[in-house]
Amino acid sequence: MEVIFDQVVKRFGTFTAVHGLDLAIAPGEFVALLGPSGCGKTTTLRMLAGLETLTEGTIRVGPKTVNDLPPGKRDIAMVFQSYALYPHMTVAGNIAYPLKKRGVPAAERAAKVKETAAILQLEPLLDRKPKQLSGGQQQRVALGRALVRDPQIFLLDEPLSNLDAKLRAHMRAELIELHRRLGKTMVYVTHDQLEAMTMAQRIAVMSGGHLQQFDAPETVYNRPANRFVAEFIGTPSMNLLDGMVEMADGPVFKAAGLTVPLGPAAPQGPAALGVRPEHVRLSDDGAPATIRLVEPTGHETIVMLETEGGARLTARMPANLGLAMGTLVAITLDPEGLHLFAADDDGRRIDHHPTPAAP
Amino acid sequence: MTRFAGRLAFNLFVWSLILTIIFPLFWMIVTSLKPQFELFRRPPSLLPENPTLEHYWRLLSETPFLHYFLNSTILSIATTTLVVAVATLGAYSLVRFKYRGRDTLALMVLFTYLLPSVVLIIPLYLLMVALGVSNTLFSLVLAYTTFALPYALWLLRSFMAGIPEDLESAALVDGATRLGAFRDVILPQLLPGIISTALFTFILSWNEYLYALVLVNSESARPLTTGVMSMLISAFNIEWSLLMAASVMMSLPLIVIFAFLSSYLTRGFGAGGVKG
Repeated sequence: MEVIFDQVVKRFGTFTAVHGLDLAIAPGEFVALLGPSGCGKTTTLRMLAGLETLTEGTIRVGPKTVNDLPPGKRDIAMVFQSYALYPHMTVAGNIAYPLKKRGVPAAERAAKVKETAAILQLEPLLDRKPKQLSGGQQQRVALGRALVRDPQIFLLDEPLSNLDAKLRAHMRAELIELHRRLGKTMVYVTHDQLEAMTMAQRIAVMSGGHLQQFDAPETVYNRPANRFVAEFIGTPSMNLLDGMVEMADGPVFKAAGLTVPLGPAAPQGPAALGVRPEHVRLSDDGAPATIRLVEPTGHETIVMLETEGGARLTARMPANLGLAMGTLVAITLDPEGLHLFAADDDGRRIDHHPTPAAP
Repeated sequence: MTRFAGRLAFNLFVWSLILTIIFPLFWMIVTSLKPQFELFRRPPSLLPENPTLEHYWRLLSETPFLHYFLNSTILSIATTTLVVAVATLGAYSLVRFKYRGRDTLALMVLFTYLLPSVVLIIPLYLLMVALGVSNTLFSLVLAYTTFALPYALWLLRSFMAGIPEDLESAALVDGATRLGAFRDVILPQLLPGIISTALFTFILSWNEYLYALVLVNSESARPLTTGVMSMLISAFNIEWSLLMAASVMMSLPLIVIFAFLSSYLTRGFGAGGVKG
């Protein structure tokens, strides 16, 4: 079922949590709402769930406007960050609750619970109370409670953030598999870009209550729509240098002693240049820079560099170069990996190649 | 060695405290079992030499004790029900709904405790007369509610605040109405809080004396506390053995309740003390 946010605004008193959000989620799509805490992503999800009212705008699910429908009538299921399992009910009771509220007869309820428990390997735990379960098991029960009644839309609010790293990786894979098998629309709120990048078909990046970009993970990574997205996506984050675009043989970007040739479409004037750490290269004929810090991570090394003009750049290097702190090296920036952003507050992306090179 | 001495001193202190508290209760029971002639004998006997239940029998058969007992029971149960119902809904509102002056309202409720009850009694009495309910058990239910409700509200508020909001949201998404979510999810979580609040209110209304003395002076609506007083203590004579028998029987319900539910009561005081 498709989901359309049309100019949705949410205000809490004088504070505006979501500003005029437009978002169209295709039927069966897995969408991640990604952003730092307080960006409005959870509020957006709760509005879709019916747990928050809209101040302005409309939300449509399929052909139906759901603004005034109570949560229980929206054909959605939700998994909460805290799991929100009912502590006084058994696992079976928890999973059966949404069916009970929909008047499903007891025999059918029991069969459905059994079926769902089998999918999630919860059968031996059905008689336990949530308190007697581990975090991962509670997570699966919460998922089971969402799965059991076969809703049109799944809403997941940071469902993996309380799990340890290993279990999280495992559950990521399970969720992808679940989405593939069910083919239902899923909206997934997270502040973890790794989760968003690996699981979602499209990512809606939010900040300060505004939608920054809504695109496939590769596009968000390779062609960030503005400075915020550029800095927010990717670890370590993209290097950003403030400087000027000037005309030489063609447009060049100048900042802190660096001169970087740009594509022919770059307009003159103040701008910001973005380059990802993997696009900072060592080369013999490049600009001189001093290695300030070396962070080996195992399969690669993160290097902090300082150019002669004082610009600081992070670079991602292979692990076997034997780089030492204080060494003077020469660097170039990969022309394929240069992003240009406007110098104003919005920092919108400027395409400096006439036909953008598809990386 | 000093540690041993310290422990010994501590134990002596605690036991002397316990004995001081226990002795009047013990004496109450002993006195209620002594026949009349043994009561004022010197030196007094620590245990009754001819234990008898005659005072209990006289109390039950010759006095309106049972009537008072019934009054007290009705009064305490009605007060408890009313207070718990209002306080539960009030606490839900104070915790879950966001409105202007929410915290001020919660604080204002406590202001009733700043006034000594003696100051409130006369206005309250006039109010009951104006309402046409003076001299009835109902007037006492209303009066007790005024002083039990604020504390009950605060006690339940701290219990309610401990229930995650996500639980209710989950129930709503799962298809429950707001009332359904309250019944299915909030109430079961609140049960320990409700039990301790109910106990507190019940004990308060069971033992209340001052309001009962002033607000009710008809024989038919007297609760145990004032009923026993007026029945057994006159200007000329105190019926000690009957009084003690009545006291024992008055204490029994509370002792029974306490024995079964004391853990809830202490939990309630804990919750109120830490968060309230």
